[in-house]
Amino acid sequence: MKRWRLTVILACLPGLVGSAHATGGWKVPAVAKKFPNGLVVVVSEDHSAPTFGLCISYAIGFRLEPEGRTGFAHLFEHMMFEGTPVAPKGTFDRVIESGGGSNNADTRYDFTEYVDTAPVSALDPVLWLEADRLNTLDFSPNHLENQRKVVEEEVRVNVLNAPYGLFYAIDLPGKAFDRFPNAHNFYGDFKDLDAAKIPDVEAFFKHYYAPNNAVMAIAGDVTPTEVFAKVEKYFGGIAPRQVPPKPDLTEPPQTAERRFTEQDTLARVPALAIGYRMPPRHSHDAVVGALVGELLHNGQASLLYQALVKDKKVAIEVNGGVNFVFGNPFEYDGPTLLTSFIIYPPNLKEDDVLSAYDAVLSGFAAQGPSPAALERISAKMQSDWYANMEVPIDRASLLSHATLLDGNPERVNEIPDELARVTPDEVRAFAGKYLAKTHRTIINRVPAPASGRNDRGEKGAR
Amino acid sequence: MTRRILTIFFLLFLAVAPAAGTEKEQPLPKDLPPYGELKPFRAPQVTTQKLANGLTLWLVPRPGFPKVSYTLAVRGGMSADPQDRPGLADLLTATINQGTATRTAKQIAEELQAAGGDLSASAGSESIMLGTSVLTSKAAVGLALLADIARNATFPDSEVELGKRNAADRLRQQESNPFFLASRALAKALFGQHPYAVTSLTQDSIAKTTPQELRSEYARHFRPDQAILVVVGDFGPAEISGSAESLLGNWAAPSTPPVPAVEKPSSVPPHAIFLVERPDSVQTTLALGSLGPTESNPDYAATRVANALFGGMFGSRLTLNIREDKGYTYTPGSYVVSRRTAGIFQTWAAVRNEVTGATLNEIDYELNRMATTSPSEEELVHAQRYLVGNQAIDLQAQESVGRSLARLWILGLPPEELGRESERIGKVTIQDVDAAASRYFPAARQAIVAVGVEKVIKDQLAPFELEVKPAP
Repeated sequence: MKRWRLTVILACLPGLVGSAHATGGWKVPAVAKKFPNGLVVVVSEDHSAPTFGLCISYAIGFRLEPEGRTGFAHLFEHMMFEGTPVAPKGTFDRVIESGGGSNNADTRYDFTEYVDTAPVSALDPVLWLEADRLNTLDFSPNHLENQRKVVEEEVRVNVLNAPYGLFYAIDLPGKAFDRFPNAHNFYGDFKDLDAAKIPDVEAFFKHYYAPNNAVMAIAGDVTPTEVFAKVEKYFGGIAPRQVPPKPDLTEPPQTAERRFTEQDTLARVPALAIGYRMPPRHSHDAVVGALVGELLHNGQASLLYQALVKDKKVAIEVNGGVNFVFGNPFEYDGPTLLTSFIIYPPNLKEDDVLSAYDAVLSGFAAQGPSPAALERISAKMQSDWYANMEVPIDRASLLSHATLLDGNPERVNEIPDELARVTPDEVRAFAGKYLAKTHRTIINRVPAPASGRNDRGEKGAR
Repeated sequence: MTRRILTIFFLLFLAVAPAAGTEKEQPLPKDLPPYGELKPFRAPQVTTQKLANGLTLWLVPRPGFPKVSYTLAVRGGMSADPQDRPGLADLLTATINQGTATRTAKQIAEELQAAGGDLSASAGSESIMLGTSVLTSKAAVGLALLADIARNATFPDSEVELGKRNAADRLRQQESNPFFLASRALAKALFGQHPYAVTSLTQDSIAKTTPQELRSEYARHFRPDQAILVVVGDFGPAEISGSAESLLGNWAAPSTPPVPAVEKPSSVPPHAIFLVERPDSVQTTLALGSLGPTESNPDYAATRVANALFGGMFGSRLTLNIREDKGYTYTPGSYVVSRRTAGIFQTWAAVRNEVTGATLNEIDYELNRMATTSPSEEELVHAQRYLVGNQAIDLQAQESVGRSLARLWILGLPPEELGRESERIGKVTIQDVDAAASRYFPAARQAIVAVGVEKVIKDQLAPFELEVKPAP
């Protein structure tokens, strides 16, 4: 599905397409080119500083990792830094840091991104190294064993040793969805991580790390002509590969509210996570959903902050939105949630919070937002969206994701205008349709009595 | 190969020392293209101005990206909190936007949102910073709101009451976070009774603070002669300077004395292990720290270079050892932080319980290796180029420029320091790194905090033959 969209939409683009500096707000330039091996490259020229940001996104994320190998897409991401036959482990980091820059990577539901930023003098070696690790890897069992340990420490620091343990991002989709691709623990069960072997790494690499399954965006002190020539030089010799067709990811419909309680041995203050299933990604409703998520959660002016924290005083903090914690509300391509994560006072009950929450949502579904509220949030989302494109590494990331998921880099310039056109009626209709109780899943996470603990935190000065 | 590339495509202003390295790195791939010629970085150009009431104004006009970032900082912060109200500045920042003479909390939030902004308010050890980034088209609104909050906050009784309740619960929640616990314990271990030891609220302090106390602390901190406004982004300098004059020019400085400067800490932190018991921990969170140079100390640049190659970058010795070789941890790291009268050198690692002792042993080994042996030329250049390049990259974001400049002003340094820092880093020699590392890095200088389950890690700490005691 993904590759189909990429192929068709980009086929409409000639080799070089200048950006439209059309009406409306600020636009970033974006010029795209598809190479014969299927690699799509987007360039955003910006000479405000002698640096570049690069993001290469592969259309493989948590969703497509095999059953019995939860966490593998992310473990594999680590293996991409473990060297190749000609550039051994450590080379990439050393070259980019000595070139004055840094690198990183992220695995998400529908893609894995590798990002680099450096003074532009390091562009050639960095491109060479990105091409080198797309060509082949050093499939070393020792390195796999090392990174398996590192990843398990990452899971400990972010999940097992952390209050709340990301339950709003891991457990909530697990309860809200029914099928493995959307519901499994993406960070990985240790038994699955332990079971991962080199043949798994080789197969994953062969299937998904193909030039025709990737979009690379480069923003900064470069020109499209220069970048395309370098890409031809360094990536041109990498052959396209057969990428497995994307499986059907759709969920059976949800027909009833789902509620759960979890005990947390580390947290001292209770929290709620509420998730509503969102409409398919490529629909106008998804744009309305993104805006609704921000109306409800964006900052102290948001409806939920004003109602729950200020008016009813039933919450300490409210956070959330569509695709919450996995990026902006447009960076996904499969079943996803509008999530609310609410930390509430220990002396209150779950239902105190939930009844105040429901009052906000039912009022919203009945009356819709005021035009003033809509105007405010669209200004805020425009401002936040621009902030995502301020520095080259972030702009490259946004362009790469938009091109991979929508087949069109110009999408990054269209989204603020589309958000600004959403009407109160559309919001009301959206709330009535998608924010129904039967479409939601709730987890109440409460402090557990800890083993050997005598202080549960009440007035517990330490 | 490494040598060839680094020599030929060297940053022009880095001094090339011909010293032979003690550590040979692997040769680079033979086909790897060399770095291109380094283009010079332009440090942000800052126009400085002082209003008649003493308010400092630093402007960095950068046309293009259509937003404006404001940072308003005042001297003071948590080190200036009344002795019996530790962390009060933190509560002050949590409630400062909850009402002014002419706006309710909700109005402030909504007007800012309509301008594309949010208020960030944070209390540091010796500053309080307010900030917002708004759309260029709403630049005037953003500044008007920031000025209103800085001048006319009212701390309404009902808002303070709610702010206190939420601060108490937030503190309970923070106390379940091992990094919060480690950082609080480390500050106390390093500074004892000195004001730099205060890094957060206490339940006692929250319970006792009154709205009136917040108002008087606000009046003591927020005065034009102890404040700076930094504006970065897409704006006309004359316009913004005019707005600042009209919104802040008649802000009167009181005749009362300003928040006093913090004395230099006199005591030496103990080399001991401070345990913070955290039941059910599956990792030990280790934090080591010692006093380091301040930013105005001649050692500072060399210490930053030493820190980068010890634990400050991904290719650092510590990361290569305890992550990339041994797999003990995900995010080890070390940091150099400067306050006005003291610097802090810190090393962090969160590791599974069973390798607590082994990790501490490796950290000690790497600290002492830094302190007693010289880095290779390759390592030195790697660290220098990393620091210089990444500073330029960080300074691409408006907010980052605003905060960096405000921080310099708080430290009593001029805006030109932003560019000079990179120049100084480029001039650091192996001898400078050796001197700084031998001064600040020896393992025997470090105070050690371990947050975890005592009965699980106690035996692993015994071989270090250090005093093990509960965190202060």
